[in-house]
Amino acid sequence: MSDIEIGILGFVALFVLLALRMPVATTMMLVGFVGHLVLNERGALPTLAGETFHIPHVLSLTILPLFILMGNLAGISGMSRDLYDAAYAWFGHWRGGLASSTIIGCAGFSALSGSSLASAVTMGRVALPEMQRYQYDDKLATGAIAAGGTLGILIPPSAGFVIYSLLTEESIGRLFMAGVLPGIMLTGLFVLVIVAITSVKPELGPAAGTSMPLRKRVHALGRASWIIGIIFITIGGIYGGVFSATEAAGIGVILSFLVALFRRAFTWQSLTGVLMETLRSTATTFLILIGAFVFTPFVALSGIPNALLELLAEVSPNRFVILAIILIFFVLLGTFLEGFAILVLALPLVQPVLEQLGFNMVWFGVLMVIVLEMGLISPPVGVNVFVVKSIAENVRLNDIFKGIFPFWLAMGVALIILVLFPDIAMFLPNTMYG
Amino acid sequence: MNRSPNPPNHAVHYVDRVVKVIAYFGSFTMASLVVITGIAVVFRYIINDPIFGIYDVSEMVLLTTVACSFAYGGREGAHVAVDILGMIGGRKVTRWTDIIVRLLGIGIIAVTVYGLLVQGSCGMPCGHFTPNLAIPFMPFYIILSAGLGAYGVVLAAEFLDGLRSFRDFVDPNEKNN
Repeated sequence: MSDIEIGILGFVALFVLLALRMPVATTMMLVGFVGHLVLNERGALPTLAGETFHIPHVLSLTILPLFILMGNLAGISGMSRDLYDAAYAWFGHWRGGLASSTIIGCAGFSALSGSSLASAVTMGRVALPEMQRYQYDDKLATGAIAAGGTLGILIPPSAGFVIYSLLTEESIGRLFMAGVLPGIMLTGLFVLVIVAITSVKPELGPAAGTSMPLRKRVHALGRASWIIGIIFITIGGIYGGVFSATEAAGIGVILSFLVALFRRAFTWQSLTGVLMETLRSTATTFLILIGAFVFTPFVALSGIPNALLELLAEVSPNRFVILAIILIFFVLLGTFLEGFAILVLALPLVQPVLEQLGFNMVWFGVLMVIVLEMGLISPPVGVNVFVVKSIAENVRLNDIFKGIFPFWLAMGVALIILVLFPDIAMFLPNTMYG
Repeated sequence: MNRSPNPPNHAVHYVDRVVKVIAYFGSFTMASLVVITGIAVVFRYIINDPIFGIYDVSEMVLLTTVACSFAYGGREGAHVAVDILGMIGGRKVTRWTDIIVRLLGIGIIAVTVYGLLVQGSCGMPCGHFTPNLAIPFMPFYIILSAGLGAYGVVLAAEFLDGLRSFRDFVDPNEKNN
């Protein structure tokens, strides 16, 4: 049996085990180890042990638990509510304004938390009762929350970018900066979707009361200045080159903690709850990363990436056609695989191909994260959808998926725009890092 | 965490208690990580006198935090899995597949723990120490193997619990597969 055949067999085993509900991380560890054992017996155990020890002490990965903790602290301190309230004060009286406020609130919260689930849950709990109170259509309301939550992994700090940077050895700072303008663009597209829907069918998102006086709007904005200030210091600090992403994460956590302390938001229960929730997310990301780093050497040893490159070159000589094939493949994977799983499973396979074709991996990182976002809200396993369902128990899952579809299309449009105009992603990293 | 119609399983109950203690320790080390990063920032940017090797300490504290998270994540269903089989085949299929999957999980975790202990035992002669403060890796290899080992124990307890509830309509540890 050739190395490539063993590699293909490995992938078949991987998908069979995943279908049997084995966790992604342990599946990758198992297939990676056994595959490595077959291809290079002596290297298998040292690779398994070496990667398992290496990943948990990569300094740059400190930002994963720290940014997750920061987002969780922002949730209990009430800062996320302030953000929504500010958006509500300014846009709530528009048709579809509450849904737009949810999107804007999610975008703001995403700048404080690297997790899309945290964004969806936190904003969903605040926004959904308001939208239901004003008789918003369930599909529009839940779709806006699920889609808005996905901004969490595009707008920095983003756990998706951190993992991508580790897998591709690209700079975290460059990736974070590359996500800013596409994140703002996608936020705008989501709001446009809401405006379009409520223009055609105004009854789906009626205006929530009358316009607030300017004094109240400014007051609401003032209350949100805490969270805006923390975002400005952390993300602005990274952009300005004042401190590294890891240091920004540490500062962000301390500031969020101080705000929560100042607002007397802490109880022993809420503090331990926040820490435990962060520990839970830490387990998810690190074990999956370990799995990816055990699996990747097996993929490289099997020679599959080179064979894939040759195959794709035969399909079309045009590199953009190959890019389109890869992106469509990822979108399809997103319909049954969780976002991080796609990232760690597929990236080792396509990275050599993309590099050979001369694509900028920072730019591709942004495309990849948008594809992951699409996966987060694609049926049947869109994780964000299930999170929203847990908040909106009376809304049928089918209705949530239907409500999401226009936002999913907007993500597709964002992908096309970014392929046509890569400078939207590359402008900030290029001006900052050259 | 236990939703079985059977009376609570003592093994799972004791595992939960131990896992919780480990998780509390992990929460403490995570808080320490925040403090260390804060101190590093203050000394670097405000006092203008960076502490030599402080990031070596950060790395080892991060490793300890991660080690403490695995078992807790296992009990809380944090380890991502794709649940299409459950939707299609239902419990009559998953009661069998869960047994296989858990056994395979225990197997790979056991091999990893063994590998870590073998590699960690080499110590300083193999260059297993941090670059600045030369903190030896050996104790941290042991901590990591213990953390992963605890996850293996969680899987084993859930495996036994799964066998015990084999004929029930719900697996008591459904979300933790």
